[in-house]
Amino acid sequence: MTRKPPRFISLTTKKGMPNLNLAIELKGIEKNYPGVVANHDVDISIEKGHIHAIIGENGAGKSTLMKILYGMVKPDAGTISIYGSPATIKSPQDSIALGIGMVHQHFMLADNATVLENIVLGSEPIKAKVVVDYAKARNQLQEIIDTYGLDINPDELVADLGVGGRQRVEIAKVLFRGAKILILDEPTAVLVPQEVDDLFDNLKVLTKNGLTILFISHKLDEVMAIADNITVMRHGTTVAEVKPVNTNKKQLAEYMIGGELPSPRPASTKPREEKVLVVTNASANDRTGREILHSVNLEIHAGEILGLAGVEGNGQSELIELIMGLVKPDSGSVNTVGLDTKNANLREIRDAGVGYIPQDRQRDGLLMAAPLWENRILGHQQTEPMASGLWINKGAAKEDSQRIIEEFDVRTPSNSVLANALSGGNQQKFIVGREMSGNPKMIIAAQPTRGVDVGAQAIIWDHLIEARLKGTGVLLVSADLDELFKLSDRIAVIFRGTIVDYLDPRTTTPEQLGLAMTGEKIA
Amino acid sequence: MSALKESRLWRILTSPSRMMITVSAVIILISVVRQFTGINDITSPGATGATIRFTIPLLMAGLGGLWAERSGVINIGLEGMMILGTWFGAWFGYLYGPWVGIFAGAVGGALAGLLHAILTVRVGIDQAVSGLAINLLGAGTARFLSGVFFIGAGGDVNVSPQVKSIGSFTIPGLSPFLTHLGEKHILVVSDVAGVLAGFVTSINWASLFMFLALPITSWILWKTRFGLRMRFCGENPVAAESLGVNVYRTRYIALAVSGALAGLGGAYISVVVTGNYLEGQTAGRGYIGLAAVIFGNWQPAGVLAGSLLFGLTDALRVRQSTSVHALLLVVIALAAVYGISKLRKKDWKGFSINIGIAGVVLAYYLINKVVPDEFVTFFPNLTTILVLAFLSQRLRPPAMAGAPYRKGEES
Repeated sequence: MTRKPPRFISLTTKKGMPNLNLAIELKGIEKNYPGVVANHDVDISIEKGHIHAIIGENGAGKSTLMKILYGMVKPDAGTISIYGSPATIKSPQDSIALGIGMVHQHFMLADNATVLENIVLGSEPIKAKVVVDYAKARNQLQEIIDTYGLDINPDELVADLGVGGRQRVEIAKVLFRGAKILILDEPTAVLVPQEVDDLFDNLKVLTKNGLTILFISHKLDEVMAIADNITVMRHGTTVAEVKPVNTNKKQLAEYMIGGELPSPRPASTKPREEKVLVVTNASANDRTGREILHSVNLEIHAGEILGLAGVEGNGQSELIELIMGLVKPDSGSVNTVGLDTKNANLREIRDAGVGYIPQDRQRDGLLMAAPLWENRILGHQQTEPMASGLWINKGAAKEDSQRIIEEFDVRTPSNSVLANALSGGNQQKFIVGREMSGNPKMIIAAQPTRGVDVGAQAIIWDHLIEARLKGTGVLLVSADLDELFKLSDRIAVIFRGTIVDYLDPRTTTPEQLGLAMTGEKIA
Repeated sequence: MSALKESRLWRILTSPSRMMITVSAVIILISVVRQFTGINDITSPGATGATIRFTIPLLMAGLGGLWAERSGVINIGLEGMMILGTWFGAWFGYLYGPWVGIFAGAVGGALAGLLHAILTVRVGIDQAVSGLAINLLGAGTARFLSGVFFIGAGGDVNVSPQVKSIGSFTIPGLSPFLTHLGEKHILVVSDVAGVLAGFVTSINWASLFMFLALPITSWILWKTRFGLRMRFCGENPVAAESLGVNVYRTRYIALAVSGALAGLGGAYISVVVTGNYLEGQTAGRGYIGLAAVIFGNWQPAGVLAGSLLFGLTDALRVRQSTSVHALLLVVIALAAVYGISKLRKKDWKGFSINIGIAGVVLAYYLINKVVPDEFVTFFPNLTTILVLAFLSQRLRPPAMAGAPYRKGEES
């Protein structure tokens, strides 16, 4: 991958002229952590009443910048102006006082309390010096609900709310504090499409009322749809500022990763004869006896990527468990890399050459509070070179972690940092690197690029394709149709626990695939 | 309609009335058992008085636990804080009078609470480890101080000199009337009167004073700004901090109060109940107080209910072991009714288990005329275990109680 030198393209700021219409102006912001430059030469101007998007890969410095703006982190250099006057923001309280509110990516709510209690906390109206004036708070909140059309009920328990509702509570929370500038950190990461539409409607009402919104994201579609202005960050600095009408997704993606996106379309190769997975008429029931997989037939050849498409919850996770030998088929047979799973346990199956990239990387893929080199050992703790006899081999683990860090471009100061210090994309790259170690015969990749930025996605795709060329069979379970089309040699469609169709990605349209996923047969 | 049923209002409207029905049913049941067995002590004013004396220390420990856990810190050190309360209460009570003793007990407990705060909040030691350390420290300190101070003052290494007693009050008119009514042994009426008489006869002023901690705690938790913030420190300290709540300071205050309440409970035991310090007299009540918190689902009223239950079983032990024998009938009836109620949902397993329990207890009741003292002593502990085992799945503890929290770090 070639990387072009960073360039700064500004289409909107008028240099040298103070713009009184600016809500926020950042100049030369710099922040260093030991071993890492998180932000440098950050310049951003945000107009009042605009939705201003900041995009960039994971680890590009967006979150650090937001923390600086919200007073959670102190910048080493640079100036911040709010509504044209310079400001020093030392704590979240300062930033709240300046009218800046933060809607966190991970909701900062207490489940066991009502919406109203969650909203008033920290800025409670008070009577008789110590008693919270809930009646007054309720009136204030109702006013906000009415003005901005937020659909929340003050007396509902937060535990009973869905994700969209919780996000509205978060937004109401900052509005309750009189915020005129809202920072939304990856607000759509947790939402389903319908909820995203609702959120965007809410945001439009907010800006119509004169509020300014800072929208952090790495989803290019959404940014193109909602933003008035887009700033791109890369390697800790701002590299471009564009308006959606003057750009397109491809260009934005190039700004983000500093080069052209690699085209992942795999070269056509003949699939080999050897089969790494043969599932024959396999059925499986869950604990209650309900059938979750029904007569599944599936084959993967060496050197082939088989995409598994399907709406989530149609038996994908159970199929993976079946292949890994965690669940034994009630009827039919499963042969994974030459082993009959009826007679083999997970350990034997993995040792025979199966790599597994789990869907939930933080829960199933890593020990978050352990260093990377220890995480490298996971799953290989009984085989050479990670283990020698009864002992684990720390030296070999560190050495091989370093190899993964370099080959997969994992952005980390060293192989001894804890896994939870890495951004999501970098964690995922490390897991992919680990699971590809030792040239496995088969890789099960469950949502391998969900929630990671385009740069990490490109690297993961590259490696999956490379593994395929080397003769590895890949089962790609994905909800991302784009990914399925770009990588798969064949696409199997799973619906209600059974494989309903095989499609050729070269001749199928996304619409047809979408239809097949709902159980419709394509003529 | 379903939205209404799920609303908080609906829950509030329905729960007290359901609770009233349950309470009435239990009263009637106990009354029938009393009438049937002729063991009148079960609902006598004396038994009620004993129950109050045993409940107050548990209630104080429980409220102490509630303060700590609502603020997000588990306080296993309640026992050690109570021990310090018994010692300080007895010594300062001996020197300056019982009320000063009670105040000193609170101070002693509060100091241990502050130590727990420093260890867990500031230093970041595991909350269980710190609590354990405080229990050991409390017992050791009390023994050491006893050796230094008591021997010269007419006590011993494990016994303090006697403390003057705090006065008590009886409500004139009401007390004799209810007591008289209670002695008539009329079904239900006499039982209610007898129990009520216990609440208005020879009530120690200290009992009344300490009981006030319950409504005050309730009021602070649900009405005041500090209470709201404290609850959020237990539910989601990161969120609280992000909204400008000083989690550290809140926890310091909550733990000091927690220790003070446990200390008051300890001082009550030494100053009011026994009149002197005896080594080991808390007898694990700090832990039972913690169990009362769990039993009470981290609600002040629930803590009272838990303390009453454990206090009652404790009181029975010292009153009459025949009472325990009679109360086995209540257990049998409850198990049988519960088992039959399972039939409605065609839950045959639940039915047979409960009927089985009822059968076994009935057999025991018929074969033995009296429950052995050893078992009676063990009864409160057994009740605690059973109650916690059956309840623990329906509870709603503060989400982040027990989790380490460092300012500026996201969990």
